[in-house]
Amino acid sequence: MERWHAVASWTWDAQDETCGICRMAFDGCCPDCKLPGDDCPLMWGACNHAFHLHCILKWVNSQTSQAHCPMCRREWQFKA
Amino acid sequence: MTSSSAAARKNLSKIACNRLQKELVEWQVNPPTGFKHKVTDNLQRWVIEVSGAPGTLYANETYQLQVDFPENYPMEAPQVIFLHPAPLHPHIYSNGHICLDILYDSWSPAMTVSSICISILSMLSSSTVKQRPEDNDRYVKNCRNGRSPRRQGGGSMMIKYSN
Repeated sequence: MERWHAVASWTWDAQDETCGICRMAFDGCCPDCKLPGDDCPLMWGACNHAFHLHCILKWVNSQTSQAHCPMCRREWQFKA
Repeated sequence: MTSSSAAARKNLSKIACNRLQKELVEWQVNPPTGFKHKVTDNLQRWVIEVSGAPGTLYANETYQLQVDFPENYPMEAPQVIFLHPAPLHPHIYSNGHICLDILYDSWSPAMTVSSICISILSMLSSSTVKQRPEDNDRYVKNCRNGRSPRRQGGGSMMIKYSN
């Protein structure tokens, strides 16, 4: 064999297809990013709801007291 | 509502702009029952016509909601008021301000214009009496800045329609 083309596909393993905050596809990226993938990762909460990291950080940082999960209203904790 | 004139508002952030365009498309495909949005080129202010649900106190009546989106929507709730004349309801002041928890402390960025509309219609539909809030005159008189009742200390009358 002289040469070969490797082809791979990937997808985030999230329950939903879109981020509940920005409504963009998880396989895409948040509106502030250009490329999906490691530069715009997903982040899961202890409640198992996922968002773009950049989106959930914007929400958590905008709250003066304890932030709640946008989907289920449980106290937001980043999944360890 | 002169205080929130177009000139005084900041431009929408990228995420806000993006999301509102998606919500607009979604609305056009699947509008919530009982609502009509008069589409304009202003993404930041939506004026929506609400029809009272059949079999409720507001059947055959139509009202207009004005929805203003903040720069950092959806991290912050939109400002939603009824344009004059506002429906007679125990949680709607005569100046159009609406006492509904999801518009203030219980806002979540996963909510949409559509879900807000459904909550407001549900609030109207569940009403058993057509009257103004008890503190209407005092509230409207003191409400000089034209903002809706964000943390006015009137939490006791704030109804919970969030899930």
